[in-house]
Amino acid sequence: MPNTTRQTGNASKAVDFDRPLLLTPGEDMTGYLTAAIGKTLLLAVTCASVLAVILIFVFITREAWPFLTSGSLGELLSSSNWYPAHDSAAEFGALALLAGSLYVTAGALIIAVPVGLLAAVFLSDIVPFRLRQIVKPIIELLAAIPSVAYGFFAYLVLAPWMQENLGLPSGTNALNASLILAIMAVPTIISIAEDALTAAGRELREGSYALGATRAETLIKVVIPAAHSGIIAAVILGMMRAIGETMVVWMASGNAAQVPSPWWDLSQSVRTMTATIAGEMGETVRGSQHYHCLFALGFVLLVITFTLNLIGEYFLSRARRARGGAK
Amino acid sequence: MRTRLRQFGDRTFTTVSGLSVLLLTGALVVILGPLFWRGAGAVVFRGTVEFRRMQYDMHGRGNKETLNAESDQAAHVRKDAYDLLESFAAGIDTTGLQKEARRIYRQFKTQLRNKVENIAITPEEASLLKSVGKKLRNHLLEAYETTKPDEAKQSLDFVLKHAGDENLAGSVAGQFFDMARQYLQIVITVDLTRREEYGETLNEVQEIIRELLGPRPGEPLPELSQFQYGATRWDRAQLLLDRLVWNEEWVEQGSGKSLKKVRTKRAEQFAGTELAGLFPMVEQNLEKMLCPQRTFYWQYFIDDSTPGHFFGGVGPEILGTLLLTLLSMVFAVPLGVTAAGYLVECAGDSRFVRVIRTCINTLAGVPSVVFGLFGLAFFVLYLQPKLGLPKGSSILAGAMTLAALVLPVLIRASEEAIRAVPRSYKEASLALGAGKFRTFVTVTLPAAAPGILTGIILSISRAAGETAPILFTAAVALGPIPETLTQPTRTLSYGSYDIAVGDRIAALVPHQQYGMVMTLIALVLVLNLAAIIIRRRLEAKLRGQ
Repeated sequence: MPNTTRQTGNASKAVDFDRPLLLTPGEDMTGYLTAAIGKTLLLAVTCASVLAVILIFVFITREAWPFLTSGSLGELLSSSNWYPAHDSAAEFGALALLAGSLYVTAGALIIAVPVGLLAAVFLSDIVPFRLRQIVKPIIELLAAIPSVAYGFFAYLVLAPWMQENLGLPSGTNALNASLILAIMAVPTIISIAEDALTAAGRELREGSYALGATRAETLIKVVIPAAHSGIIAAVILGMMRAIGETMVVWMASGNAAQVPSPWWDLSQSVRTMTATIAGEMGETVRGSQHYHCLFALGFVLLVITFTLNLIGEYFLSRARRARGGAK
Repeated sequence: MRTRLRQFGDRTFTTVSGLSVLLLTGALVVILGPLFWRGAGAVVFRGTVEFRRMQYDMHGRGNKETLNAESDQAAHVRKDAYDLLESFAAGIDTTGLQKEARRIYRQFKTQLRNKVENIAITPEEASLLKSVGKKLRNHLLEAYETTKPDEAKQSLDFVLKHAGDENLAGSVAGQFFDMARQYLQIVITVDLTRREEYGETLNEVQEIIRELLGPRPGEPLPELSQFQYGATRWDRAQLLLDRLVWNEEWVEQGSGKSLKKVRTKRAEQFAGTELAGLFPMVEQNLEKMLCPQRTFYWQYFIDDSTPGHFFGGVGPEILGTLLLTLLSMVFAVPLGVTAAGYLVECAGDSRFVRVIRTCINTLAGVPSVVFGLFGLAFFVLYLQPKLGLPKGSSILAGAMTLAALVLPVLIRASEEAIRAVPRSYKEASLALGAGKFRTFVTVTLPAAAPGILTGIILSISRAAGETAPILFTAAVALGPIPETLTQPTRTLSYGSYDIAVGDRIAALVPHQQYGMVMTLIALVLVLNLAAIIIRRRLEAKLRGQ
């Protein structure tokens, strides 16, 4: 409610209030009520995202429930025999799928973390402002390219190239998927890590320079340790991006449900959880065990990303607190 | 020394970190380069007369007179090649003749049956004639199949012995004798042994010629539009020409080694025969046969495609993508902007608000395929039947799933935009006596509008590119253009997946594959560029004040 001000009589007198600036609910019931109702309504709208999260959890769990309670959860997480479409003796061992997700994510992070971190350092401390104005949009474009376009590139350009030039039996393999996932995760890592590095503050850097350290020494020994919480959060969010990615791994990883042997051989085909869901959901019968099993996979994915998200949030809030404390 | 070492380390660090950025830029170029370069080939290319004929047949584009003149000219040049092929095929490719013989025999049988019904002959006579006819047919077929001239001559002689048979005079079986006489000529003049040698290759050559020049004039048109036209593009024609001139074989190089590709000239395979002249002739006259012209096929973006995307464009896919994303914005924008307004203006830092923020972050972190599962379980399988809507995936369900997906993006962007509005704006408004609500609607929101618009544009680009959420909720690879929002639709994103992986016909036409994905990327990049430009202007404006 606007506080009406009224000038009393002669102009020489300054503003004079004839009623208090803030009305108590008793004095302005309608105003109080409209404000309260309006606020509640806005709050209700704001809760749409809360509702969405709850609905996602409820409905994924609901569809996964028949599978989870049928006692196959142990099999899901312990066996690597994935024969879900078998008529009489279907087997739901998702260990190979979990391993596949792990392989491509790990492969992606091995590439993306150093590159992303170095690029973030470059952007925050080294590059002149004008060049930064050009480089930043380029990295944003990398993030904007749709995942299916990356998958298209991996499948039709990178895979044939790999097969021809690296002498691999198949161009669609864990290495291919990791490479592309790394490119997709890098922009996330850069943007969060750069924020963290910038937030570390001038004083820290100037102190280090004053002690005679070079720029590299300052960055490695002072700035990066100071920004470590934010950097960890960046890595975790990049990891989430990689683990939840569907189209690229579906098109580029070869989709063979196996654990590579020897274990370090990234040039073999793997199959991830996301690709399994995307590839098999269209062919299952609604309500079958296979269908519920795919939802159970979705549930596992959801739990993994949710946990990662909470950990990321923790590190981000720690970074924020450190920033607040420094000021 | 130590100082120098440290300086060296410093420079190395700078270089390496600069290289990492360079690497990313390089990755962008390497990825977008081939996609755009080859995708542009779907729109700008050298179209042949076949392409113009297809455009005229399907959409009525182009001038009929010039097209006909061109076609006649091309047909004139093509005729020599056809003649050459036909004269060579006689005696080698007898499948057509065999078919003809069988057809005549069937006709002969019906004729006999009719005669019996009309009581022109008795059934006994008819069966006798039938067995004679059958013998004639079989001998004729033997003659067509054998590669030994003597055997062929014997069989043909047997057939021709019956030529004077009065019982057969005037019946359809008379045609057998004409065929036999004609083939006897061929047997005498042509070396039949070549059939084994050339039969298969000849088939291949005929097949390639058909793909290159289209079905021969006078031949019945095939059902599928894919086979109704020859090479519509010059680059494809060149590819086919290469296949015509060169024969490729994979030869084993001994056990354990991989196969090796060996190319031999077909002209050498056919050396000494009249067909050897076909290859240089086609090679030299291909331009005249197809009349390629530089074509700017902008209708690629509005045309529907034929099955397998063999011909045509991506019109329905673009339409579907726009429908889905805009509808999802209809759901997401009011929710997102309101939520952002609340979070900035009304909410403090209470525990509940923190829960809301955590939920928004969680939502942003949910894998896109899980959104797809959620959309399937909630919108398609739960909500749609409850609301009495038709079963199955629909644009509506897909749009709502996408709305949930972009909600966090939208909220964050709007929040940032609203927060960036200078305090002085709000204070001035409040000081003028406007209430909090009025201030927000009439002052803060308009000031934040460009920023919010940026967020909306980025959300549209995100929604347009997402595939996994609409896999089970809204997308189909093939299907009619949707009439209502309760039907599924084709989209650019799912189309890009399907055309690359799922579609076997599309694998024959790479320009169509790349064209689809180029359209998607171009759409997303244009949206992003627009967002970047708006943001730049906004930043400049805010800095200026």
